[in-house]
Amino acid sequence: NNKNKKKSPLWCSRSKMTGLQQIFILIKDQKKIPIRRADIGKHVIKEYKAIYIEIMNRVCRKFDQVFGLKLVEIDPKNHIYILINKLEPIHGEPVSMRPGNPKTGLLFVILSVIFMKGGVIKENLVWNTLKKLRVDPGEKHEEFGDVKKVVTDEFVRQKYLEYVKIPHTEPVEYEFRWGLRAEKEVSKLKLLKFVGELFDQDPQSWTQQFREASATETSSQRS
Amino acid sequence: MSDSRRRSKGSQEETAGTSNGLGGRNRSERACDMGDEDDTGAGPSAISDEDDDPTRRREIRSKYRDLINQVQQNREDMLNPANNKLTDVLEEANKLFANVRQAREAALDAQLLVLATDLGKEKASQLHAEGSAFDPSAFAEHLLSFMGLNRLEDESGQDGNLEGYLPQSAWQRLAKRSEYCFKTAPSFHYILGSFLAEPPPPRQRVERQRKAPSKEAKRMMPTQLKKMEESNQEATEREVERILGCLQKYFADDPEEPISYYEFVIDPNSFSRTVENIFHMSFLIRDGLVKMNLDKYGLPCIAPVEEGEVELGGAAVRNQCVISINQKSWREIIEAFDIKGAMIPPPEVLSQ
Repeated sequence: NNKNKKKSPLWCSRSKMTGLQQIFILIKDQKKIPIRRADIGKHVIKEYKAIYIEIMNRVCRKFDQVFGLKLVEIDPKNHIYILINKLEPIHGEPVSMRPGNPKTGLLFVILSVIFMKGGVIKENLVWNTLKKLRVDPGEKHEEFGDVKKVVTDEFVRQKYLEYVKIPHTEPVEYEFRWGLRAEKEVSKLKLLKFVGELFDQDPQSWTQQFREASATETSSQRS
Repeated sequence: MSDSRRRSKGSQEETAGTSNGLGGRNRSERACDMGDEDDTGAGPSAISDEDDDPTRRREIRSKYRDLINQVQQNREDMLNPANNKLTDVLEEANKLFANVRQAREAALDAQLLVLATDLGKEKASQLHAEGSAFDPSAFAEHLLSFMGLNRLEDESGQDGNLEGYLPQSAWQRLAKRSEYCFKTAPSFHYILGSFLAEPPPPRQRVERQRKAPSKEAKRMMPTQLKKMEESNQEATEREVERILGCLQKYFADDPEEPISYYEFVIDPNSFSRTVENIFHMSFLIRDGLVKMNLDKYGLPCIAPVEEGEVELGGAAVRNQCVISINQKSWREIIEAFDIKGAMIPPPEVLSQ
């Protein structure tokens, strides 16, 4: 399919371009790697730059109305996009018919610890917590394989996490934060509620986290 | 300039570098201080021996390095809100700095200060003015319970979580529940896979091959059909007769001894022939040419029916039964009865 896209037809109707771009985005989204506008221009159509705004608007509308998906620009400076679901999952109804991806669980654990600890944590806290869950970054894990790679490379490329060097550390240490995708895709409020369930504690008892989660929820609903 | 005055102004002047606050010192001293990396403190001997003493300077630098190492190695300890170790380090540094005269030592002091302030910032961020604390260890414990950890009965202390069996579906279970927190777009995949334009050519070749023989085959069919039908029925009849002949021969050798049904029909070398034998045998029994009864052990035995015995229309004696056999039972019977060879010799291959 990609081979077809490299050809740039002399005349290409706007709806055709829209369709092509949609398919391109959907396929890129399979691996959950964010999509750059530059790539769209390279692969979909060369004359893209002239009318990209119009095409982009059409694409967003199509995704919204037909698929129930939102194309979100997570990096306005570099024009990088991700696809997220417009529909909120409802508790009690299955999110998908497919079996859960264990990496989702792993990601949830890391995002929770970061969030509950104020938004930034040192990498050791992540590794120590995972070790207690019998996931050792130094050993190959049955389900996740090279855990360190999944966490520091895959999740970072997908923009779920940020893995940043702490300045002035010798030997070098890193810290973890939420990535741009996580900010858009993950509901802090829902996460806090689940944490509350696990601790059998009222989520509001973590006042700072609750405040932040509620604020993010309202602002994301507005956008 | 007296030593005491220099010391009191020391901190400002050392770190100020080329700023204007150096009023009190003469030029030659300043020139030696700027970027002076030398141990020996070369240059005009305007610098007092005390300031220039390489041993003393080395000592100061070594103490600074110790402090820096202490901070780096014991980072976790320093962060612990329960102690004041960070403050102690800063106080030590203050004392040391009183003796610093030259840039090289000052640089080390600056390095220590940077580390200390980083730690200070972290320590401050640990303070939670309100709300409950969050303990990642407890979090891990609750997660393990959620994932279905079967803890051992005696949970001894901290290692209680390293024991116990975590089921295979553990991470799946967590994933399914965590999914609700995400607004992930479902991954796009073609339902029936993607379409490649390559297969057609091989298919055409196959079709062409099939077309050629079918014409000839049609021509042959009318003459052959009759033969096939006949030979099928014939073959069965012939086979049945042959088997009856076999049975009669065995019986003739020893008329008193009943023959075990299983031993007779089973061909230890071929399952399919065994099945055929059973099939053919069933005709003989249906037509009343062979009788079957159970011996004293309850095992089926067969014997040919003598001419006089045949009861035409003797429905009362007739029973029906369905026999089935699979490869497993076939092998079990061979083993149980220790069947070495087929009592019914395999038929000669019919040439068509």
